[in-house]
Amino acid sequence: MRRRPAETARHLVALSRRSTLAIFRQPALVGPSLIFPLFFAALGSSAFSRAISLPGFPQVDSYLQFTLAGTVTQGVLFGSVTGAAALATDIQDGFFDRLLAAPASRTAILFGRLAGSSLFGAMQALVFLLVLLPFGVVVQAGLLGYVSIVVAGFLTAFAVGALMSVVALKTGSAEAVQGTFPVLFILLFLSSAFFPRETMSGVYRRIADANPISYMVEGQRWLTIDGVSLTAMLQTLAIPAGIAVLTTALALRQLSARLRAR
Amino acid sequence: MTTTVQPSTDALISSTQRTIGILAKRSIRNIRRLPSAFFPALAMPIFNMIVFAGTFFAVTKIPGFPTDRSINWYMPLGIMMGAAFGGVGLGFTAIRDIETGFYDRLRMTPTSRLSLVLGPLTGTLVRIVMMTTIVIVLGVALGARFTGGVLGVLCLYIAALGLATIGAGWGLGLAFRFQDMRGAAVMQLSIFLVMFLSSAQVPLNVMTGWLHTVARVNPATNILRLARVGLVDVGNPDHLSWNAVWGGLVAIGVMAGLTLTFAVRSLHRLND
Repeated sequence: MRRRPAETARHLVALSRRSTLAIFRQPALVGPSLIFPLFFAALGSSAFSRAISLPGFPQVDSYLQFTLAGTVTQGVLFGSVTGAAALATDIQDGFFDRLLAAPASRTAILFGRLAGSSLFGAMQALVFLLVLLPFGVVVQAGLLGYVSIVVAGFLTAFAVGALMSVVALKTGSAEAVQGTFPVLFILLFLSSAFFPRETMSGVYRRIADANPISYMVEGQRWLTIDGVSLTAMLQTLAIPAGIAVLTTALALRQLSARLRAR
Repeated sequence: MTTTVQPSTDALISSTQRTIGILAKRSIRNIRRLPSAFFPALAMPIFNMIVFAGTFFAVTKIPGFPTDRSINWYMPLGIMMGAAFGGVGLGFTAIRDIETGFYDRLRMTPTSRLSLVLGPLTGTLVRIVMMTTIVIVLGVALGARFTGGVLGVLCLYIAALGLATIGAGWGLGLAFRFQDMRGAAVMQLSIFLVMFLSSAQVPLNVMTGWLHTVARVNPATNILRLARVGLVDVGNPDHLSWNAVWGGLVAIGVMAGLTLTFAVRSLHRLND
């Protein structure tokens, strides 16, 4: 059934609004993905304050300034699981089937969910920037840097949310989506989110070199430490955008497979 | 007229020992029956050891760091995290047993309440020995070196078993108080905070600011110090030193005593 773009957009807005409100109505889901990254940032600022003078560390005022990008990425990665878990819950409790029975746009069902977690990702990035600002963490790239990091939060949440939606659509199980959480955790730690790649060695260094999260984080880090540069902007925005295109294609394919299987 | 026959002290001790043995065996048997429950408890310390040692590889170059091998510092951390969470995991099992009614059946048996705590605790300690052994073997394969020899290994086992006992007492106490999964969140969060607000990531002489103030009075710092006495450099003041050992032993003794008392008292309250 072909729908007019305006109709699809209306469905998308309604479902996006629903998913966004659903996230903010559950402080138990929102709280940990805001508190834990800030806790780790505070912990690192005390534990690794003397590490910033080690060879391989960039010139930074404090470990907090170095770890800002890691904090944003950590929070957004963990928070983006909630949207996909909610999609799986919709499948489990039959709401997904009721939407399919209604004349609702199929893609709006998916993008509506992703919009909620993406907006939450952008909000997380903004909160982290504002909370760390009084502690002397200033983004050298200025307003463009702040905006880029918030947009990167949106794009990263969209990309990871779409990837997690593949699991949600394939299994229809919120537990299965939550079960993929350790994979994100491992990917984050096997990157330069908390320490520069230049200080690592061996296999671990090679993994961090191959991990796209390293480059995403480093883009935001250069905006924070050095200011605006084309490379930093590309790494901050193009990498999550590229991953988002890829994971969205996978999610749409999985949605089609689920629809065909009905 | 009815008369109540009181069991003799010997019979009571024998019954308690038998119950401890049965409950410990049940806990150990679950490793084979429910490997999915044991696997994360084993994977977490291995993961922690590898990623911390890899990510923070360079911290050993900070002047005053007690070892030049990051794996020597983070292998004990992985084991201690595994032991602490393995200990509180007993609380999760207790909550499940309460919810399924298994605990009600246990409480109707003519056995001492102490055995309902010591039985599962024994099983948990066996699991911790297994986990510690596996992580040590893997750690050594990845480059960890026990500068303190057998004594160093022994200190690491004592610290792991001690921390697991503290975690188990805390987990069981909370399980008996809450009697549902609300207790699980409190267990995990409290252990997480206690472990990270210590010398988990770097030694006291390397950290600065608020964390130093908190870690200095956190008993987990002393237990971690005990765990690492056989892994720091030979020239370090902590290397197999009684000064580094006694604080850990006292922390284990006091904290285990307090948390196990909390568990037994909470169990009695559950009976009321």
